[in-house]
Amino acid sequence: MNEETWGLIFSIGLPMLFAFGPFLFSWIFGNWYQNSKQKELVEREAAFGADPLTTLRTISEATTDSGLLVANIIMSVSWWQGMIGGIHSIFGGTITTWDKTLSWGRQEAMQRLREKCRDSGFDSVINMRLETSEIAGSKGKTKALEIVAYGTGIKF
Amino acid sequence: MKKFFNALNLMQPDGQVQPQQIQILMSNTETIPGRTIGQSLGVVTGSTVRAKHIGKDILAGLKNIVGGELKGYTELLQEARAQALQRMVADAAKRGANAVVNVRFATSSVAGGAAELFAYGTAVVLQ
Repeated sequence: MNEETWGLIFSIGLPMLFAFGPFLFSWIFGNWYQNSKQKELVEREAAFGADPLTTLRTISEATTDSGLLVANIIMSVSWWQGMIGGIHSIFGGTITTWDKTLSWGRQEAMQRLREKCRDSGFDSVINMRLETSEIAGSKGKTKALEIVAYGTGIKF
Repeated sequence: MKKFFNALNLMQPDGQVQPQQIQILMSNTETIPGRTIGQSLGVVTGSTVRAKHIGKDILAGLKNIVGGELKGYTELLQEARAQALQRMVADAAKRGANAVVNVRFATSSVAGGAAELFAYGTAVVLQ
């Protein structure tokens, strides 16, 4: 190869690397990071045992103590997932990246509520509610969603 | 100058009533489980508007490379929600209630990257 071909490769390759490099980085490390976190969540859920959460408003057992419990999480997609989501939204249909992120976030928020229930010494959480709201960074740059899980913890 | 700062202190609703002194029960059901409601004292509200630190905003943007949870924002909103609840409880304590039932939360984003957190409920006196 002569100097000209190398020059051509560099003049096209370098700008491409700067333009798509972060997305490639995001794809590799994002996948690795999210998979490890999701695995951790599944393990925590499995280790917890019986689910104390219910959406019922009343419970037949007599209660001795109660209190409000709130757990929240803010979820966002990675740069790569955001780009894929953008491409998906052109054609419509299921936007798998946001789909996965939101269901993961909801699972995590509920698990946090379960752990809060256990840590504050309650036996069950009744009237559990989930709420989602959009949080935008300054200049609307970072699109993120907040998921709140709350309910009334009761002690039998 | 001292007077001015004292006046500022008084303006903070948290400074007026210490909710820790009067134990206020909270629940998001119609009643406090296991108790009966004697008297309703109307709706109590608490709200707070919070914006993110610019450094946190940049860090969150970087964290976005891998996606997932944005811990800085989670903590911020947790604190903000706790403050909104505290203000609601202070309002209830001022009315002489000892419980707040049917607590609801609402969040709305305000321009400039700020978020308003709002908590409301019905102040009641338990029998």
